[in-house]
Amino acid sequence: MSTANTMITSLPKEELRHRVNSTLGMVFFIGSWSMAFGTFFLAFMILRQRVGVWPPEGISLPSFPLAIVATSIMIASSVALHRAMKGLSAGTDRARRDWVLTIALGLGFAVVQGWLWLDLMAAGRHPTSGLYESLFYGLTWFHAAHVVCGLLGLLWAWIGLATGRYGTHRLSTVNNIAMFWHFVDVVWIILFLGFFVF
Amino acid sequence: MSGDHIHAEPTNFFRKHVFSVDHKVIAKQFLWFGLIWLGIGGLMAMIIRWQLANPGDPVPVIGSFLFPATDGVVDPATYNTLFTMHGTIMIFLGLTPLLIGCVGNWAIPLMIGARDMIFPTLNMLSFWSVFLGGAVGLYSLFVPMGASEAGWTGYPTLSTTVNGLGSGETLWAIAVFLIGASSIMGGINYLTTIIRLRAPGMSWGRLPLTIWGIFFTSILNVLFIPVIGSAMLLLIMDRVFGTTFYVPTSVMQGAGGGDPILYQHLFWIFGHPEVYILILPAWGIIGDLLSFFARKPAFGYRIQIAAMFAVTVMSAVVYGHHMFTTGISAMLGESFMLLTMIISVPAEILFFNWLHTLWKGNIRFTTPMLFSIGVIFVFGLGGLTGIYLATIGTDIFLHDTYFVVGHFHLTMAASALFAAFAGIYFWFPKMFGRMMNETLGKAHFWLTVIPLTTVFCLMFVMGYAGMPRRYYDHTSSEYLAALQHMNTAATHAAFILGAAQLIFVFNFLKSRWFGRPATDNPWEVGTLDWATPTPVPHYNFKVIPTVHTGPHEFSHPALGEDRDWISMTEPLPGAESDGPDLGGGAVPTPAS
Repeated sequence: MSTANTMITSLPKEELRHRVNSTLGMVFFIGSWSMAFGTFFLAFMILRQRVGVWPPEGISLPSFPLAIVATSIMIASSVALHRAMKGLSAGTDRARRDWVLTIALGLGFAVVQGWLWLDLMAAGRHPTSGLYESLFYGLTWFHAAHVVCGLLGLLWAWIGLATGRYGTHRLSTVNNIAMFWHFVDVVWIILFLGFFVF
Repeated sequence: MSGDHIHAEPTNFFRKHVFSVDHKVIAKQFLWFGLIWLGIGGLMAMIIRWQLANPGDPVPVIGSFLFPATDGVVDPATYNTLFTMHGTIMIFLGLTPLLIGCVGNWAIPLMIGARDMIFPTLNMLSFWSVFLGGAVGLYSLFVPMGASEAGWTGYPTLSTTVNGLGSGETLWAIAVFLIGASSIMGGINYLTTIIRLRAPGMSWGRLPLTIWGIFFTSILNVLFIPVIGSAMLLLIMDRVFGTTFYVPTSVMQGAGGGDPILYQHLFWIFGHPEVYILILPAWGIIGDLLSFFARKPAFGYRIQIAAMFAVTVMSAVVYGHHMFTTGISAMLGESFMLLTMIISVPAEILFFNWLHTLWKGNIRFTTPMLFSIGVIFVFGLGGLTGIYLATIGTDIFLHDTYFVVGHFHLTMAASALFAAFAGIYFWFPKMFGRMMNETLGKAHFWLTVIPLTTVFCLMFVMGYAGMPRRYYDHTSSEYLAALQHMNTAATHAAFILGAAQLIFVFNFLKSRWFGRPATDNPWEVGTLDWATPTPVPHYNFKVIPTVHTGPHEFSHPALGEDRDWISMTEPLPGAESDGPDLGGGAVPTPAS
C-alpha cells in the first residue's frame, strides 16, 4: 500500500480523514472476505485430507499450461494496476493507459479461466463428476464471481477517471477498487498453488 | 460518504421513510421488522407446543386456516418445517435485527456523539438485504413440497438433495446468505463508525458498555458471518449444480463424494460465535442499564470490557463442543471441553460485576431495569446448565435432548430477548418521543419471566429424563408417554408466555401514538443520546458535544445533594482536569 501512503501525505486534512475512513472500511471488508475464501480453502483442505491420496486415484489435473498463463496474466494485471495507482498519485497521463491495460489483462484472465473450464468439460468432467471436480469448479466459480465484480469496479473507476469525476485527489473509491483487485489476485495465486503446485 | 456533514433533511416520502440513509429511520425499520418476525416465529413456537401437548389434534382457531389440507392437524412434515423456521426466524430475523440492527443503529451514533453512521448508504443496503432475506424465507413457506425441514442447523444429508427435494431448502440457504450479507455490512459500518466518529473526549475508556458490546459483536460478525455464507454457497452448489461437497460417497453412484461432517465444522465455526454475537450486545446493554437504574457507576467498568473481549476471542475456539457425538478425536474433544469450561470464567466475572453494580445501589425498578435483572436471572440458569453440555461425559447423553433446547433457549434466546425488551423500553421515549406505560410494562415482565422459566426448566427435567428434541409425537413411546404431563404443563406455560406478549404489543402500539410525551431525559442518565432534544433532530447534534466525564458518573460526591447524575458533556464540579480518563488514549476525532 505504498501508493496509498504517498498519496495520504499530500492530502488536505478533510480529504485525509475521508480517505482513512474509506480505507478502514475496505480493510474490514477484505478481512471479512478473506474469511469467506478461507472457508472455501478450509473445505478444500479438510476434504483433501479425508481422501488421503491427492489428487484422487485416476484423476488427472486440469491443463497446467493454461493455469500458468492465467496466473501470469493475473500477476501482470496487478503490476499494471500498481503502476496506474502510482501514476494517479503523481498525476501523470500514463495512469489511464495502465488502467486500461489492467482491465484488458483482467478480461484476458477471464477468457483463460473460461478456457480452463471448457477444456475440462471437453474431457467429460463436469461439476457432478465427483469430489475433485466439485472442488475445482466450486472454488473457481466463487473466485470468478469476484473477478467479474472486480472488473466491473475497474471499469466504473475508469469511467470516473476518464470523465474527471474524481479529480486528482478524491481517489478513495479508486483506491478501494484497486485494493479489491489485488485481493482477487492473491486469492487466485492461492488457488493456483492449491490445485496445481501442492 | 462519512456522516459528519449536515445534509438537508429529505422531503421525498421514499427517501425519508423507505430508502432512508438516516440511522434513526433505519433503526426504526429494523425495530418493526424484528418485532413482526418475532411475532411470526413466536406463533410457530405456539403451534409446536400445541402439537407436543396434543399430538395429532387439530390446532384450535387458526389451524383450519393455516393447514386446510389436513383440517388443522400439524402433519409430520409441517412439524419439521415449523421447528426449522422457528429457529431460523427467531435468530436471524427476530433477535439479530432487534439487538444489532435496531439498538446498534440507534445507539452508536447517538451514544458516541456522531451525526450518522460513517457509511449511510451501506447502512441502508444492510436493512434492505435483511428485508430481502426475510422475503425469500417467507416465500419458501409456500413453494411446492414445502419449506426447509432440516432444522435450523441445516445438517447434510437432511439438507442435501438426498433427503430434501423441492426448492424450500435452497431458498432457506439463500435467505440465510442474504441475512448474513446484511450482518457483514452492518458490522463493517459499526466498527468503522465507532473507531472514527467518536466525539472529542469520547475516549475508548469512556465508551458506554452498550457500544463496547456492539463493537465486539461487530468484530465477530465481520469475521464469522462469511463462514456461514460460504457454507451456504457450498450447500447451494450441492443442491443446484450437483457438486458433492457434503454428500458422502456411500450415497453417490460411483463417483467420489464429500463429507457431511465438513458442514458441521463450518456451521459451528460460525454457529458458536453466533451465540456470542447475540449475547454480547445484550451484556453491553444491561451493563449500562444496571448502572443507570442502580444510580451507581458500573462496577468494574474496565473488567467488564476485558471480560467481553476475552469472550470475543475465545468464542472462536470452543465450537467443537457441538460435535462431541460426531466421532471427533479424543484429544480434540478434550481440548474443546477445556476451552468451553474456560470461556465460562469471563462470563462469571461479568455476572459478579453486575451483582456488585446492584449492591447497595439506589435501585429504580423501572421496566427496563426489571428486564435487565431478568437477563441476569435467565442467563445464570442457562449458563449453569451449560456446564453439563460442555462436559463430554454428560453431553454424550444429553445431546439432542430437551436439555439442550432448554439450555440454549435460556442463554441465547431468552437473555437476548430480555435485553432487546430492556433496550426497547429504555430507548422508546427517545425514539418516539413518548413514554411506554410502566404498569403494563411490569405486568409484561412478570408474565414473561415466570412462564418462560417454567417452560425451559421443565425442558431440563424432560431432557435429563431422556426426551429427544425434534420428535413429532412423544406419546408414541411408552417411556416418553409417561413424561407427557410435563409436556402439557410446559405448553400451558408457553401459552401464558405467548399471551403476555400481547400486553407488550398493546403497550407498544398505544404508547407509540397515545403515550405520555417524553421529556429530553426521562431516565436521568448522562450518556450523549440523552443529551439530545426529544424528538432527536435530523442530524442529532447541532454542535458535536465535547465529552468530559465517563458514562456512569452517578451519585458522585462532588455533585452535591440536588441531583445524582451528570451529563457526559459537563465537567464534574470542582474537577481540575476534564474528569478521570479511564485509560484509552484515542485521538479524538475533530468535529467539522
